Amino acid sequence: MEIQSSEKSCKDVALTVLTRTHAGYFRIALSLGWQALLWKILLKDSRMAFPLLTILWSFSLSILLLLSLLYLLRCIFFFDMIKDEFSHHVGVNYLFAPWISWLLILESAPFVTPSHASFVVLWWVLAVPVVVLDVKIYGQWFTKGKRFLTAVANPSSHLSVVGNLVGARAASKMGWREVSVFLFSLGMVHYLVLFVTLYQRFSGGDLLPVVLRPVLFLFFAAPSAASLAWYSISGRFDTGSKMMFFLSLFLFTSLICRPCLFKKAMRKFNIAWWAYSYPITILALASTRYAQEVNDGVAHAIRLFLLALSVLVIFGLLLFTAFHPNLLLDPTPSPTHHPTTFPTYLSAN
Amino acid sequence: MTKDEELPSLIKAISDHEVAGFDGVEDPHTSLSGTEAVEIEDVREMHSVSISMPPSPLEHKTKRVLFDDDSTNLAPPPAAPTTMFYSQPIPKASALHEAITNGKSAPLPPPPRVNKLRDKRYDSFKTWSGKLERQLTNLRGRPREREPHRVEMGSVPVDRYFDALEGPELDVLRPSEEILLPEDKLWPFLLRFPVSSFGICLGVSSQAIMWKTISSTESTRFLHISPHINQVFWFISIALMVAVAAIYALKLVFYWEAVRREYHHPIRVNFFFAPWIALLFLAMGVPPSINKTLPKPLWYVLMTPIFCLEVKIYGQWMSGGQRRLSKVANPCNHLSVVGNFVGALLGASMGIKEGPIFFFAIGLAHYTVLFVTLYQRLPTNETLPKELHPVFFLFVAAPSVASMAWAKMVGSFDFGSRIAYFIAMFLYLSLAIRVNFFRGIRFSLAWWAYTFPMTGAAIATIRYSSAVDNAVTKTFAVILCLVATLIVAALLVTTVVHAFILGDLFPNDMAIAISERRPKSSTTRRWYHRRAASSDAAVDQYLKFSDAKDVEVVETQPAGP
Repeated sequence: MEIQSSEKSCKDVALTVLTRTHAGYFRIALSLGWQALLWKILLKDSRMAFPLLTILWSFSLSILLLLSLLYLLRCIFFFDMIKDEFSHHVGVNYLFAPWISWLLILESAPFVTPSHASFVVLWWVLAVPVVVLDVKIYGQWFTKGKRFLTAVANPSSHLSVVGNLVGARAASKMGWREVSVFLFSLGMVHYLVLFVTLYQRFSGGDLLPVVLRPVLFLFFAAPSAASLAWYSISGRFDTGSKMMFFLSLFLFTSLICRPCLFKKAMRKFNIAWWAYSYPITILALASTRYAQEVNDGVAHAIRLFLLALSVLVIFGLLLFTAFHPNLLLDPTPSPTHHPTTFPTYLSAN
Repeated sequence: MTKDEELPSLIKAISDHEVAGFDGVEDPHTSLSGTEAVEIEDVREMHSVSISMPPSPLEHKTKRVLFDDDSTNLAPPPAAPTTMFYSQPIPKASALHEAITNGKSAPLPPPPRVNKLRDKRYDSFKTWSGKLERQLTNLRGRPREREPHRVEMGSVPVDRYFDALEGPELDVLRPSEEILLPEDKLWPFLLRFPVSSFGICLGVSSQAIMWKTISSTESTRFLHISPHINQVFWFISIALMVAVAAIYALKLVFYWEAVRREYHHPIRVNFFFAPWIALLFLAMGVPPSINKTLPKPLWYVLMTPIFCLEVKIYGQWMSGGQRRLSKVANPCNHLSVVGNFVGALLGASMGIKEGPIFFFAIGLAHYTVLFVTLYQRLPTNETLPKELHPVFFLFVAAPSVASMAWAKMVGSFDFGSRIAYFIAMFLYLSLAIRVNFFRGIRFSLAWWAYTFPMTGAAIATIRYSSAVDNAVTKTFAVILCLVATLIVAALLVTTVVHAFILGDLFPNDMAIAISERRPKSSTTRRWYHRRAASSDAAVDQYLKFSDAKDVEVVETQPAGP
């Protein structure tokens, strides 16, 4: 009896975990991946930091492997849930998250250089799904009956733009210039459209539930990623990159000065909080490049501030997640936990 | 009121030479008797507060109308030789002089801001705005027998502005609406002084820059324009800036609630950028004889208020529920955006490297959003005027200043600048061709703000002509400068006419006095006003829904607002 019940509880646990692991969990992998990349770039000249980088990278890799495995199992056993995610206007953007995370892990690997053959192969393996998703989603924006842009645009749509830009950056690191520019222009054009649409904020209602307000941080993630991508393409942090970086800085300031927006989302810990981390990391990375280019006090001050903030945030989030194991393991899902229900989707309580 | 007195007219329009605040602003001599007060006032002519109160200035009749909370004053005063009249039209200067020379003991009453009451009210103006509002609602001239109309001055939601007001500048009250201040009286000057008056500073200071550019650019040297014109304009704009800023500062101090309401007004909020842009223009237009190079910290100082305002306003566009852009977008939003480009231009000409790029980037991003939104003319957008209005000239401002800023930042008038410049020219041409449609529109002081785009376009053309130096561009530059000058001159004449002859340069500012809630009887009327623009069928349909009271309204309204 006991063995049976323990078996049963094991199965229950497994089931709960699988049902609750949606694509939004990849935010953790994204944050860790960007951190790894940030520290790789910061410490790339320092030999002594190699062990630290390896530890960080391995940690990120293991988390990513775990999440990917879980998500794969979910695909196999609960494919209809994946379909639900795909048709949800917020969930669909997080389908980019696994590919971005893998691209980041690839780039931040301490021992792989971009010209390596395996890098190229892996890049293609990862970039093709991004482009496929692009074609599907962006095509829907301007052609499809119900899912056109003004109906579905929301801040998490920036993630698709970030996906293109990360791909572009990695491609240019490999030396594949045309592909890189292709992805960059794809990302930027849709960023332009998205930016205008989101700023207009049609009164189709607030498409983002209050719990998902941290996703607003993606507003400044996209221009920072654009600035980094352009830096990789053009070779130096020129005016275009600077302008994108400044825009991102301005949007960051704008959001930081509005803590009330996030008050309601901060009441209870949920997975959406991880959305705070990686935009700040991307901005910190861009500010590092900026400070390298413009070697003056203000730039370095901004860079240090953002670095400190990004490290603090990710540590805080790691601690919070460690102390909330029921994020994944809670056997009693809330009644409104059906993936397509608005308020709890992509938050994990 | 005795029969042998002549009744004053209900409304006396007295020319306004008084620029400083009226009615309680600076009246330290509140404890003076009537005569002395009159002597002090006699050098100033003031607007009259037109009321229907009994005058009898020259009699010893004491007729007190109190509008103070203090009920102890209700007791009729003894028939003192000094009569105090608390609500009187301020007589004309000649009458004042006459009265003084008559040497009567109580020749004329002091202006309606009268002694004892003035004291108390003066103090309470300086206290919390709650008390201030109570005083605001204790309307001058309203007899004290009535209960004061206590209005809770909360924050007015933006929908109220759209419901209650109409017109391209959203300052005309819809007929069904009520306002908190009396409609038939002329309000205190400070209350009537809108923030859009900073537009004058914008208009004149941009002229100063234009004349400076003409006299210093090579391609226009053939015109032999003296640099003195620039100096004259610059000094005039300094004077104007100081004057307007001083008055508005007084308004800020004394009528904080009014300023707050202007800030919440979807169109007037953009004019809060105007003072800072005007300061930037002043810095750009400094005559070379006074100062060749400005100190770099000055730029940071000037840009800080713009930055703070931007974080607030653009953030509202992005996240504010009621103030989102698709709803409130209007051509005056260009004022919020053009400040970035002006700052970038000034910074680049001062030699600063990074700051201008920062502001250029922000300006460009938000300008794109605004441009697309305005071009779309969304049906949800209620603020775009249906007819053409000079406010549309603001479209020309941002690209022309952006082209100049980019040219300064990059060092030459390259492709980016030319693209922006040609866009500006195209917009200018589209509007200039339609100049016939600009007729028959009510003049307002905000029109000065709409002249700086034309001046900006002229300056951009001068820069372009120095990059592409041939006869066509030079002619074009000259033509545009002439047009800008003529428009400013015409506007000056119109302003003078309105100020001195017609006397309605500062009409009652309805936009700030709207009530927070719709008047109860007008719920159905509001629906009517919404639909009145449509066909008669709609009106008929409406009539079925209106109640008896509103039928009258429907019948007397011609074609709706």
